[in-house]
Amino acid sequence: MRAWRIFLGAGLFLALVSIPACRKKAAPVAKDPLRSAYDVEPDWNDPQRLISLDYQQAQGKRIFYQDCVWCHANATPAGPSNRSNLNPQPSLMNDGAALNGESDEFLQNIITLGGSAVGKSAMMPPYGRTLTQDEIRAIIAYTRSIAMPLYQPPARPGPPYSGKGANESRK
Amino acid sequence: MAFEEMGKPSRRMRLVMAITCVLFVAALAISPLKDLRREWKGYRQGYVRFAESRADTKRLLSDFRPGIDQIWIPEMNVVDRCITCHVGITQSSLADASVPQPFRAHPPIPHPIQEWGCTVCHRGQGPATEVAESHETTLAWEQPLLPNRFIQASCGNCHRGDLAETPKLDRGRALLAKFNCVGCHRIQDIDRPAMLGPDLTNVGNKLSREWIYKWLKEPRTVLDKDGNVVVDGYETEDEPRMPQFRLSEQELRALSAYLSTQKAKPLENDAINPRVVAAWEKKPDLTAQGELRFRQMFCSTCHSLAVTRAGETKLIGGNIGPELTKIGSKVKREWLVSWLRNPQAYLPNSRMPRYGWSDEDLYKVTQYVTATLTDSDLLSDVPQLGAPAEDEAQLGRRLFAEKGCGSCHAIEGMSAQKDFGPDLSSLGSKNVSQLEFGESTIPRNLISYVQAKITNPSSVNPAARMPQYHLNETDLDAITTALLSMGGTPSSSGMQKLILPRAQPTFHPAGAFGVVYERYKCHVCHKFNGYGGDLAPDLSYEGSRAQRKWLIDFLKNPQTLRPTLVLRMPQFNMTDQEAAIVADYFGMVLQSPAVDLTARDQTQFTPQQAALGKQLYEVKYQCQSCHTIGSSGGYVGPNLNNVGNWLTPAWIEAWLRNPQALVPGTIEPRRAFSDDEVKALTAFLITLRHGGEGRTTAENAAARGNQ
Repeated sequence: MRAWRIFLGAGLFLALVSIPACRKKAAPVAKDPLRSAYDVEPDWNDPQRLISLDYQQAQGKRIFYQDCVWCHANATPAGPSNRSNLNPQPSLMNDGAALNGESDEFLQNIITLGGSAVGKSAMMPPYGRTLTQDEIRAIIAYTRSIAMPLYQPPARPGPPYSGKGANESRK
Repeated sequence: MAFEEMGKPSRRMRLVMAITCVLFVAALAISPLKDLRREWKGYRQGYVRFAESRADTKRLLSDFRPGIDQIWIPEMNVVDRCITCHVGITQSSLADASVPQPFRAHPPIPHPIQEWGCTVCHRGQGPATEVAESHETTLAWEQPLLPNRFIQASCGNCHRGDLAETPKLDRGRALLAKFNCVGCHRIQDIDRPAMLGPDLTNVGNKLSREWIYKWLKEPRTVLDKDGNVVVDGYETEDEPRMPQFRLSEQELRALSAYLSTQKAKPLENDAINPRVVAAWEKKPDLTAQGELRFRQMFCSTCHSLAVTRAGETKLIGGNIGPELTKIGSKVKREWLVSWLRNPQAYLPNSRMPRYGWSDEDLYKVTQYVTATLTDSDLLSDVPQLGAPAEDEAQLGRRLFAEKGCGSCHAIEGMSAQKDFGPDLSSLGSKNVSQLEFGESTIPRNLISYVQAKITNPSSVNPAARMPQYHLNETDLDAITTALLSMGGTPSSSGMQKLILPRAQPTFHPAGAFGVVYERYKCHVCHKFNGYGGDLAPDLSYEGSRAQRKWLIDFLKNPQTLRPTLVLRMPQFNMTDQEAAIVADYFGMVLQSPAVDLTARDQTQFTPQQAALGKQLYEVKYQCQSCHTIGSSGGYVGPNLNNVGNWLTPAWIEAWLRNPQALVPGTIEPRRAFSDDEVKALTAFLITLRHGGEGRTTAENAAARGNQ
């Protein structure tokens, strides 16, 4: 009988010892995605809403404010915009209704080759000899990130991932 | 116990032995059992399940093997096992935000991850294989992951110069320089300039004791109750230069007494010609005329004034010099006249140009400034201080040294104070255990520490001598980024080799041009071979760009070339001789290797070429979307109405072939024009000239005054 008690005690001891192995890490405090973002850009239509940008989108933002803003926004760092001067009027860079329907490839082409090469206005100059292909991709990534209505990337093949085993311990 | 039973374990002992053995075996089994449940294994298995749920399973799993994965770069001390859990980091098809972490691909960056590892930029503990160990500060590891919004600090570890890709870091470094942090702290790659704050040797000739008292108590730029930075009561984007010191009433009295007695050098006696004064004194429009002249000379390019438009008061103008809205209540009249005639006589290192004033203009403008740019209430809350007493001045002198004023301000007979505050040149690599948090309750990490020190120095150390700066959140983050980038000596020789030093160009021409250049301070706004300001066009190749006659006309009477520009070249009242010296120097020295001025003369173009060029301009390339000719066209590029008189044909050709070769970073895109098209466009552009001499000088002056 005593032996049984000892075995029970040993078993309990073992269980206690192995508890740390099963211990779950306390979930860290959820971080504010905007505070941890590489960069942010206020929504053009609603400056209160901030959009977080990753490295590539932030580079796109930088190039946009250097080269594109003059005609593709209603306000520029210098004040007035050139947009109202032009006919046809260029799309606003966040105009999702106009740009979400265009593929990345099309946008890459019109920026690289200019408007006249893709059957649009010749007022859009080609940037293929000024910007690198990576820089142009960054501009497109930025455009997608500020698009309003929101940009939905084309659906990828395969069923949606359930998320099990990936996010369970760190969210 | 019987003898034969000795040494023979009792039943009870055997039981104890058996149990102990079982316990030992069980304890030994714990380790492999725990190993089965390692955190990283869960993530690796999770990745396999994730990959199997996608269409491109085969590609996603082609390199996958079950164990720990790492990037090992011995020469840089990199052993990064981050890729053990962040498995899909180089899989371009996993870039989308819908891919769960830790499997998402890294956004494209200039440095391939396999060649650089992760911790070089992100910090954290590379060899760790647990989430908390690798990401956070632990007992064994003090450098946690750097939050993404400060990650540009890591770029600055090696790239000591500015990079286009790191605007936040560049801004932070610029702010460190602008706030004169280098006055008290040693900072990596920022040298002490010749003058930090103004030289106070002679300040008693400029300011009253009351004004000094007010300024010390509440410097020009303060934070209002809503947390906005205000200058003299006006909201602004400008950064404060003089910070706020925490001074007691007695200290304020003493310092104001000491400073108001600083009159080492008498003002130069250069009063305005009494005949000019007599002629203008009685005119009713004297101050209005002065204001007109103030505007025509474009003082606003460097100085701002509060302007009320539609009920909203804002500061309008540049921020190179101080804001002037209440300057008339600040400075003494005699000082102002003497200053405007020769700023460098008072402050040898001032960036203010020495204008060529006529007595008439000088009288009108000083009258305007002292009569209009005033605020009768400015000193209303300052007590009557009276003449400074000797003991007050003595105390003031002592305080001046104790508070570290001499770090930024020179006073005759007082040696400059260097390294008054702590050395910050390796702040970014400091461990938490090296920081003193005192009584404060902020989180124990480097970033919180740096930000608390900057936003409120006394919150960490109540006895801190550091004054109060007022920064908005964006600037605070930028400065933090710049401070974190100062890593001190790199940890390995491999890293040491990667450091790209900061280029520190200078341009100080000698001779006649050097004199004109220093007098008008061209470098404050213009860049020459990498040296100088960026408010105005880069003049490194101006000799290739502009025609000599145009250059002289422009120097004598600057006009704007870009319709959207608010800040313009001031009118310096240069003499003909000075303008000729500048134009000659530009023509001889500031030449681009890409432009061959001797090879092309404008007479080589035919009218047919010009006609073709006009057609290309208007139809094929639609240049009018950005440039104005006549009164129609875009605002982005310069106005081309007078381009035939302005630019050299050789420059136009070279520009059309490759604008960025002449002005790096210019926004005019480089196109693929054929040789014939380049010639035709050049031929067309040089036909664009103002008729005859264009507008007269008087008309130009009037137009500028009305803007």
